[in-house]
Amino acid sequence: MPRLQSLVGDATISGMSGLLEGVRVLDLTHHIAGPYCTRLMAGLGADVVKVERPPAGDPIRRLGPFASRPNVFREYGADEPVEDSAWHLYLNVGKRSIGLDLKTGEGRQVALNLAGKADILVENFAPGTMDRLGLGYEELRAVNPALVVTSISNFGQTGPYRDWRAAEANLYAMGGLMNITGEPDQEPLKEGAPLAQLGAGQNAFAATMAALMLAEETGEGQEIDISIAEYATNILENALMQYSYSGQEYTRVGNRGYGRAAWGIYPCQDGHVGIIAGPDHRWPEVARIMEREELADPRYGSRRGRQEFADEVDALMLPWLIEHDKVDIFKAGQESGLGFSFVATMKDILEMEQLVARGYFVNIEHPVAGAFTYPGAPITCEPDADAWLFRRAPLFGEHTLPALSDWPGFDGARVNELAGKGVVSVGQTVSEG
Amino acid sequence: MPPSNQQPLRNYRVLDLSRIWAGPYCTKLMADLGAEVIKMESLSVYDSHRGPVSPARGIASYPDSEPGDEPWNRNGWFNCLHMSKYGITLELTSDEGRRAFERLVSISDVLIENFRQGSLERLGYDYGALRKHRPDLIYVSMPAFGNTGPWKGYLGYGIGQEQLSGMAHLTGYPGDGPMKSGINHGDPITGSHAAGVLLAALRRRRRTGKGMYIDVSQQESAVAFMGPELLAYQMTGEEPERIGNRSRWYAPCNTYPCADEDRWITIAATNDTEWAALLSAMNAKGLADDPRFATAEARMANQDDLDAIIAGWTGNQDAFALAERLQAAGVPAGPVLRGPDLLADRHYTERGTFVTVDHPQVGPKQYPGIPWKMSATPGEVRWPSPTLGQHNREIFGGLLGLTGDEIDALESDGVIGTKPTGSRII
Repeated sequence: MPRLQSLVGDATISGMSGLLEGVRVLDLTHHIAGPYCTRLMAGLGADVVKVERPPAGDPIRRLGPFASRPNVFREYGADEPVEDSAWHLYLNVGKRSIGLDLKTGEGRQVALNLAGKADILVENFAPGTMDRLGLGYEELRAVNPALVVTSISNFGQTGPYRDWRAAEANLYAMGGLMNITGEPDQEPLKEGAPLAQLGAGQNAFAATMAALMLAEETGEGQEIDISIAEYATNILENALMQYSYSGQEYTRVGNRGYGRAAWGIYPCQDGHVGIIAGPDHRWPEVARIMEREELADPRYGSRRGRQEFADEVDALMLPWLIEHDKVDIFKAGQESGLGFSFVATMKDILEMEQLVARGYFVNIEHPVAGAFTYPGAPITCEPDADAWLFRRAPLFGEHTLPALSDWPGFDGARVNELAGKGVVSVGQTVSEG
Repeated sequence: MPPSNQQPLRNYRVLDLSRIWAGPYCTKLMADLGAEVIKMESLSVYDSHRGPVSPARGIASYPDSEPGDEPWNRNGWFNCLHMSKYGITLELTSDEGRRAFERLVSISDVLIENFRQGSLERLGYDYGALRKHRPDLIYVSMPAFGNTGPWKGYLGYGIGQEQLSGMAHLTGYPGDGPMKSGINHGDPITGSHAAGVLLAALRRRRRTGKGMYIDVSQQESAVAFMGPELLAYQMTGEEPERIGNRSRWYAPCNTYPCADEDRWITIAATNDTEWAALLSAMNAKGLADDPRFATAEARMANQDDLDAIIAGWTGNQDAFALAERLQAAGVPAGPVLRGPDLLADRHYTERGTFVTVDHPQVGPKQYPGIPWKMSATPGEVRWPSPTLGQHNREIFGGLLGLTGDEIDALESDGVIGTKPTGSRII
């Protein structure tokens, strides 16, 4: 039976705890890379307190689309927080938000109070910003020697490009990924999704987990320096290695596999499919599935042969592909032991029988944005572990009062005083039942 | 600070049956953090990243395109993913092999595999059976589509995950079809997610004594990167348009031609400040007053014109010098780096991003190193990727305590060895 979990509000309602229950994360991140790292922690049940700068909070809140304005992709005003950005809703799932101005002296002190109670601090400011805020590693270490401080930045905390600015396109280019994507006779192409930033965020999560385990053993934390561009260079695999080994540069090959034929994306009747014509002993199956005896020609029987006659092979496959639907082609291949695939649209993914059958999606209700279907756990742990929990993204400053009470033990009067000075911002709260 | 020789995972042993890339990237990260990773292969079906037993000559992933006498030990594709791991071979089809395997399980903290779904179970090793040998074992099973559901037996390659997760749907040009990337992103995405969750599971085991069964669907892991786009689709009711190298949020953002063949620069101006900086770097006074580009919204609306103007300006300039100039002015810009550029780049050189490792059958070559800098426990590449069965004596003798005679017997029975016995390579 398909199963759609419906989890609303905070963790106490679901009764689950999460693998990282009890771990406190002071989250000074914004935009994409840092928040994806702390999102994984929040998903596993850590108490992630996200510090957002008044009055508008994390700039990702202003990048659309928005639930209330589906055709708007950017909110240019910056006077008040926006609550229903698709990017914010997804990247900040399960965190608590406090409004705190780190640029004030008292705001810095509050941050140090919070750091004193945290196990992990994650930030992705431009390098040097934490030092300028008076929140450099030595200052943090002075209040909490066991703190693990993870910094994610474009090019890292050292080196000639340390202070270089970068958007995803620049990171993709300088990390080596762009050069190998796209058509050979056109400009290099980036992925549509911000894979470099998200990937650096997830690697930061892994490194931080290891440092946390060591800190719990030894009482000693440390600094971790993650570069987004460096993440990209780490996953180039053969695209880099073949140059290192033989001096031959990897080139763009469009939708054909590198050094392969019948190994890429092809059009079909209702979209696009991935044809993966291997291993060699399965190739005759392709001819059978596609009802083209000519494809069984021994000239096409080997990887090398198919590559030599790539255009002929494509011309023989295309008529059949164009007459068939993507899911039928995918399954025809799979049922014959071929690793065919298809290019899934967003609609396809939300309806995909495999994902639905596994209960992958979670339905999360948000008081401003409403209810949406979200991807659930990226990695499934056995049910008894209660590994993951999914709580909605916070409203800006929603948890200023409770978080400052839970962690450094501030009372309401103290928080109000700080709010009066503009150091903290107490956002609206909602009661959910 | 903890002493720098105290690697975070120094006390953990990972029995690694995974192949290709997704599993090996997970265990690479574990090895980078100091874990003792034992990569176990079969002589009849070794990790296909080692390449064919008898490859054609001229394939560039071998040193100087020369496969040599033992090509399976000389493939850069394999050798970049298994540094600092031990390499053993073992055939699970024999009784002796099974006994040795079970003993290895009994002394391992983690077992990880990414076989086709059900393969290990068919050999009699489901989680319940494995736990008999190691009650608190953490077992990470990562088939393409997970261990349950109607597609559980389906095959998945990284190229397919990019498509089935929606990544390919987003990549490409407006009006054109989807485009594959130059690598298979699904693999490292899965490997890294798995590593992080595996560490959280190890931490839990330390506190509770409980092992865990972790069922990884490579597809689910990749779809996790598409969350914002899936929400956006539910909001707009429309599939995302492919936008090439542009951004939905700011303009300009694109890849522009430079002087020399296949030289390109990426330039973005994500806000008014960076736009002003770009204008001053371009010394294009007329543009400052041009109503087509006066506001961020106008620049989005008129980015065809804007891109044409910028491309005209970059076209005869050197990509590297121009990037330096733009960065000095405060504009996000970067040249499109190619393989030789990366390995020689001054920034990556200074940071030690790539490391030179001397492999006994390859010689010294550059490899991607550890993808982070940890201040107290930086770690290092401890040794090159193992040749097939390289550490058989060390592991079966040193770790399991088999005598030299017993190991010789395993070798003569074909249970372990260093030479492949099959060629079932895709």
